[in-house]
Amino acid sequence: MQASRARLFKELKEVQREKVVDNDIQLVCDDSNIFKWTALIKGPSETPYEGGVFQLAFAVPEQYPLQPPQVRFLTKIFHPNVHFKTGEICLDILKNAWSPAWTLQSVCRAIIALMAHPEPDSPLNCDSGNLLRSGDLRGYQSMARMYTRLAAMPKKG
Amino acid sequence: MSTDSIVFAFSKESSKDNFGKKKRTNRSAKLKQCKLDARREQWLSQVKNKGCKEEMNGGGGSSSSMSSCLPGNSLGNLEMMTRGKDIDSDFESSVNSSSNSISGSHDLGKDSVGSSFGSRSSSVSGGCSYQSGVEEEEEEEDECADDWEAVADALTADDKQKNQENLNSSVLAALDVPAASSDGNLPKTNSEVGGLKLQSDGSARKVVGKGHAWKPDDAFRPQSLPTLSKQYSFPMNAERCCGRGASNWVCHSVVSQPTSCPICYEELDLTDSSFLPCLCGFRLCLFCHKRILEADGRCPGCRKHYESAKGETVVNGGTPPFRFTRSFSMSTSS
Repeated sequence: MQASRARLFKELKEVQREKVVDNDIQLVCDDSNIFKWTALIKGPSETPYEGGVFQLAFAVPEQYPLQPPQVRFLTKIFHPNVHFKTGEICLDILKNAWSPAWTLQSVCRAIIALMAHPEPDSPLNCDSGNLLRSGDLRGYQSMARMYTRLAAMPKKG
Repeated sequence: MSTDSIVFAFSKESSKDNFGKKKRTNRSAKLKQCKLDARREQWLSQVKNKGCKEEMNGGGGSSSSMSSCLPGNSLGNLEMMTRGKDIDSDFESSVNSSSNSISGSHDLGKDSVGSSFGSRSSSVSGGCSYQSGVEEEEEEEDECADDWEAVADALTADDKQKNQENLNSSVLAALDVPAASSDGNLPKTNSEVGGLKLQSDGSARKVVGKGHAWKPDDAFRPQSLPTLSKQYSFPMNAERCCGRGASNWVCHSVVSQPTSCPICYEELDLTDSSFLPCLCGFRLCLFCHKRILEADGRCPGCRKHYESAKGETVVNGGTPPFRFTRSFSMSTSS
């Protein structure tokens, strides 16, 4: 309990110091609860998610960092490894491949990397996974781009 | 022996503040290795600074000999003044230490002249305008002596006498090197020194000889003196002092020794930083290691189970690519 709290405070300090360096990730802690974090990440360039800003919700367990944080997308996203309705993320480092050496910041980086390199063989979003597995890259990209415009970009006018 | 003592002197002084507290708390021989790591780093960085200082020394030394060979005229004075100005502007950040070392090297050279020939003024060739400069230097000599006393305090009582001699002589050798290099680089100063030889009698010749201390191939040169013939190329020198693995070793200590535990972000104390639980080299504090063993027991660095490598679990096993000789660690621990 104490250890996780101390570690999260250190991470918060680190994040505030590095804010200028990494402007693709904006990681903020809930004002009243150090175990609740939200992050805003920019969709990586040259992907259908480019130009979008996606919101992530972190729920940090008390055994952190021995146990991974629970992360999900709050912004709707069309991605093979993200559940379309709940925003749950299928990412090995958030499950069995977690290491206490990871930080919330590095989890954000891993999620950005997952957005650029989807794994259609372990899909949470079957429609998206099937498009990619059948080789319909264009179909996947146009769907993903549409949802990025609908959900992750500021509404025009 | 003398190299060791010099190394010790530098590192001791610089790291006294940082490591004094830790030193008291822990005395096991293995942990000293870590302290030596840090000291070595600090020393290497100091040696770099010292290197450029001593090159400046060389310039200063030759100009002073020039001024002293022109008997008692205003040019000599001017030379001294400009020299002082140069030093001031160049070493504004480190005025104290650099001027101290410069005066120290002069004075030691002069001292040996004085002791062997009785009169100092003969070597100055009777310049009365130069007198004030001499007094100044005498003042600074005291500071310099304090410095060496501090060094001597750090050494053991038995070795005290011998080490002092060694230090003095090695400083003389250090004085020799920049002068030699400036001889090579500046033929003008060389000829001036020659002029000094011609102008004054045999004692002046001795002055030059004494100022150069021992040549590397001199028969009277003490065995214990390090070979400093290429002092301005300090990386080489450092490598000679601490063996072939020096560069590797520095990299190693910089790269793979985090200052805080990557799990809990707390500072690693000496016990923690010498604790290497996994062969992959991932370091963490003992507390987090215990917590991980109670949980899934996998190394955060390589995700392999600690149990599988338990046989090889080593305390302080990470450093061995390079180890100091026994004598070195003895001389620092005393």
